[in-house]
This record gives sequence, C-alpha cells and structure tokens, in this order.
Amino acid sequence: MDRNSSFEAEALPHLDAVYRFALRLTGSQPDAEDLVQETFLRAYRAWEQYTPGTRAKSWLFTICRNIFLRQRERSVRHDEIVQQAAGRTATAGAPPAEGLLFAATAPDDPEGSFFRELVDESIFAAIDELPQEFRDVVVLSDLEGLAYAEIAEVLDIPVGTVKSRLFRGRRQLQEKLYAYAVDQGYIKPRANHG
Amino acid sequence: MDRTTCREAVARLYEYLDGELTPEAAEAVRRHFEICKRCYPQLCYCQAFQEALRRAAQGQPCAPDHLRARLAELLRSEAARPDS
Repeated sequence: MDRNSSFEAEALPHLDAVYRFALRLTGSQPDAEDLVQETFLRAYRAWEQYTPGTRAKSWLFTICRNIFLRQRERSVRHDEIVQQAAGRTATAGAPPAEGLLFAATAPDDPEGSFFRELVDESIFAAIDELPQEFRDVVVLSDLEGLAYAEIAEVLDIPVGTVKSRLFRGRRQLQEKLYAYAVDQGYIKPRANHG
Repeated sequence: MDRTTCREAVARLYEYLDGELTPEAAEAVRRHFEICKRCYPQLCYCQAFQEALRRAAQGQPCAPDHLRARLAELLRSEAARPDS
C-alpha cells in the first residue's frame, strides 16, 4: 500500500476524534480547525515514523497536543494554563479502594440503572464540569476509548496517575450524574437501604 | 466472604472493565464478582455507567464538512510536492 492510501486508511478515519480533541484543547472552533490541519500535515510528513497498526489515534492526539503546547508557549495571549495537580497525584499504581468497598455512590439505585435514563447532553455537561485533570482522562478513556498506556503518552503523565485520576474522575462524574438523576426524578427511592 | 479478595476485586474493577488486566487476572476478577453477592452490585453499577458513556460517545460531534474538504485539499497539495 503506498503512502497516500495507507495514510488515508489509517490516519484519516480519526479526523472526527482529533477535531474533538483539538476543540477541547483550544476552546475555539476556528483554532481547533487550524490545529487539526496542522496535526494531519505533520502526521503525513512523519508517516514513515509511524508503525502501521499501532494505534494511530493516540499517535495523532499526541502530535496534536504537542503542537498546541508549543504554540501556546509562543503565544503572547494569556490562555488558560494547564493546572499542576499539586500534591494530588497518586504515588503508587493501584487506585485507592478505601471507601469504595461497599459504599455505593447511589444508595437508592446501587446497580446504577438510572444511568440508562440519562440523555447524552446531561452526560457531556457533567463531564465538562469536572476539574480538567479528571476531565482529560475520562474523555480519553470513556469517550475516545484509549488504553491507559496511550492516555499516559498523550497527556505525558505516568500510567499510575492515569489510573488514579480515572478512578477519582469517574467517581465524581457518577456523583454528579446521580444528583442530576435524583433532580430529574429518575431515581425511585427505596424503602430499605443495603 | 474473604475481605481481602473483595478489596482486591473492587480495586481492580476498572482495570477489569477497561480490558487492562491479563487474561488470568481478568478471569480471577470475573469469578469473584460471579460468586460475591456484596460486590456484584458494584460491578453492575460501573458497567451501567460505562455503557451510558459509551452510548454518549457515539453521539459526539463530527468534524465539519468544510474542514474535511480543506484537509483533503491540503494533503493533496502536500502529496504533490517534490520530496526534499
């Protein structure tokens, strides 16, 4: 397969995902469109360095983020800076299980059937309300389907940090969605709590 | 029920659901949730959560058509350039 067809077959299918990723990075549709074009151009030029079949999506995300960060360093505008997760990153690989063991975040619906009632917009809104460090990993894992190692590479953080942030981010998201579901009346209060 | 085993299973729950465990480790976790009445709701809960997110993921916005067209044009002219 020549370069053009292999690029078309492996890289271009991820255009939508890269666009969404660029939109989250830049917060602006015109900036996102420029970033996407720059990303695919760089990727096309560097295509020989990419090993076929090894997760083009996360490779593209990494290129995209690197371009964005370099552009922002050069920029004189005061954009939102990536917050340092001061003192909040996990030291070990395994996420904390304390408090999770039998403490459901949804006492009136411990098997989470209320999740099925939620419309997509409410899920996206809740995700957008998460602190950035949690939002990034939840988006890359649960919306874009990246593996932990890929997320670690894209965000340039250790895998242990990915796991820890996923655990805490998902928990926060679940609590938000539960509160929303109670508000909307999706939760039917139970007579007895477990 | 052995609380250590419950603690281990719950600690690895997301790794299990995310497909990050080896087949042996995944099987051990799966077996625990199959037999443990106290842990099983936690599995259901997290599965329902992830299913909702996966469903939402499919409804995400796509790149606008004009961007798709502009990109195709950009790559065409790039391909037409003589290699350096």
